[in-house]
Amino acid sequence: MAREPKKKEPTKLIALSASNKAFEFKTPLEKKIKYQGKKVDIKLREDPNGFSYIVWKNKKYMLDVIEKNQNHYTVMINGVWHSFTVETPISLKRRRFLEKQGDSSSTVSIEAPMPGKIIDILVEDGAKVKEGEPIIILEAMKMQNEIYSHVSGIVTFIAVKKNDLVMKDDVLIDIQRG
Amino acid sequence: MKIKSILIANRGEIAIRIIRTAKKMGIRAFVIKTAKEPNAWYLDEADEIIDFSECFDDTPEFLDIERIIYQAKQHGVDSIHPGYGFLAENPDFARRCEEEKIVFIGPSHDAIYRMGNKTIAKELAKANNVPLLGGSKGSVANAEEARKIANQVGYPVILKAAAGGGGRGMRVVEREKDIERMFNLATNEAEKAFNNPDVFIEKFVREPRHIEFQILADKHGNVVHLGERECSVQRKHQKLLEESPSPALDDALRKVMGNAAITIAKSINYYSAGTVEFLLDDQNNFSFMEMNTRIQVEHPVTEMVTGIDLIEQMIRIAEGEKLPFTQKDIKLNGWAIEWRINAEDVQSGFSPSLGTIEKISWPESEHIRVDTGVRDGSVITPYYDSMIAKLIVHADDREKALQLSSIAIRKFWIKGTKTTLAFCRAVLQNHNFRKGKFNTSFISKELKIHYHQEPDEEMLAAFFAVYDYAREVHEIEDKPLYVEKGKEIAPWVLNKRLR
Repeated sequence: MAREPKKKEPTKLIALSASNKAFEFKTPLEKKIKYQGKKVDIKLREDPNGFSYIVWKNKKYMLDVIEKNQNHYTVMINGVWHSFTVETPISLKRRRFLEKQGDSSSTVSIEAPMPGKIIDILVEDGAKVKEGEPIIILEAMKMQNEIYSHVSGIVTFIAVKKNDLVMKDDVLIDIQRG
Repeated sequence: MKIKSILIANRGEIAIRIIRTAKKMGIRAFVIKTAKEPNAWYLDEADEIIDFSECFDDTPEFLDIERIIYQAKQHGVDSIHPGYGFLAENPDFARRCEEEKIVFIGPSHDAIYRMGNKTIAKELAKANNVPLLGGSKGSVANAEEARKIANQVGYPVILKAAAGGGGRGMRVVEREKDIERMFNLATNEAEKAFNNPDVFIEKFVREPRHIEFQILADKHGNVVHLGERECSVQRKHQKLLEESPSPALDDALRKVMGNAAITIAKSINYYSAGTVEFLLDDQNNFSFMEMNTRIQVEHPVTEMVTGIDLIEQMIRIAEGEKLPFTQKDIKLNGWAIEWRINAEDVQSGFSPSLGTIEKISWPESEHIRVDTGVRDGSVITPYYDSMIAKLIVHADDREKALQLSSIAIRKFWIKGTKTTLAFCRAVLQNHNFRKGKFNTSFISKELKIHYHQEPDEEMLAAFFAVYDYAREVHEIEDKPLYVEKGKEIAPWVLNKRLR
């Protein structure tokens, strides 16, 4: 027996992707998305095996929330993950404002692309590096991987030392552009 | 002699694969349990478990030769199958088995040693008139010698670990200024991975196809090949998918290359299963690369097109039986493709995505085979490889195999970790792959984006994030329940029920 919801609250929210794309949904709890001028139903389901999925325009999309931290989400759809922060119209406005204000940071952090062990550090504090130059050797899964600087500049801070174990995204070296 | 029991010195999907054949043949299967994976599925499939949970030193369980042999003897086990990786191509292990009168399900230790040394293998090929690439004569002593030889052979060259395999310990060098640095890197990697720092140099063929031939040989001198496998889709020399046959070979070329593979095997009186690898350039010239003296990860595609159980044949050969077929009897029927599904984050450069597989499910059919060591709740640990499953499809021709692959991949659902399924879909979407026009440069050159995304998917993901956030932010206690023929339930209700 289907029952209608008692109230439809205006809950416009925006999902901001990592590439700064904004997806706006005026009334998400209604589970309808505006598509080419019409409101199309979106169904959220769970199958007998325990998988969550979406049905949209008669197609099934496997759904998995990989990460959820306050308003930070990483949602996987059909095997591809997408990261978003969920913003209200006001929080988004503030965010954009702060972005314009903020400094065009000249320091770039080189992060570990995967977990591993620091085998060698090829630069010193204060050294000049060129974009594309190898700066660290990281051992992961028995392979020695060269980590390259993606900017030219000067090494301002080395966050690791030989034989350190690092996780993915750990900061390795800070480089000041220039 | 009849083998009545087998100790599988391996884990995951290959352990389960070997157990499957052992059961079929009425052979009692023993496996090794480690503290790293106490709940692994392969343990449940075996007849008996030998517990290696207690660790006395740093030696990884599946590399502990003496402990494995000791336990095999304690349990009165007839034979040992090493699977692939670990001790499969360790000549000392094979020799120790022979010394202790345990049947090693594989080739002789001498064959393993000789083919395991790339320099010796190349000399054998040369002596038997099998085509080869230019390079160093044996391993290179130091960086300076590497520079001299590389300059002589002509760039680009490739540095390869003499004791290497599986795509590791290889470095391509384009220019003279990089040779010394790359030599040092390759040497360090080789020492760490294979306990042998020796590296040799070979002329690097740009964009070849990687074609390998499956060999079966008995102890009576009979050798056959079971056709080729096309393994050109690789990333950093790691195979991601394989097919049999190859779209690049016609019957004539298959015959010539197959005979070359047999020649290589015969040159060392090889017995058991083995694989001879070749490079094929765009003019259809082939050259011998190496021989792998073990069962390979991608063996299922050969099994699907030939109908032959390779593990069963390995056991029968080890028992001393003659091959039950000749080359005339070997027929390749239809087309098989194997898709490797790994716990890797394609969007972050294929970095390992460790964690727990909450749920895994795939479509079952006569033409779909899934070899996996993973089930609901399995943990992908950092101690072993990141393979989740091998999805193998078989159809009458390549076009149908591609279609079936599309369907099977779409219906292959894994929850709990990032996987390479979206990469598989990206490959299937690629026009040249569909036409069979690709080589080892495929991933780096052809595939602009390494994962496939359909229109609307990002929007749907965004919607779900917003929806989930909205319902949490709002008072949800008084939200009504949607019940539609018992199918659709509001997620928060499910959550409540589960708690």
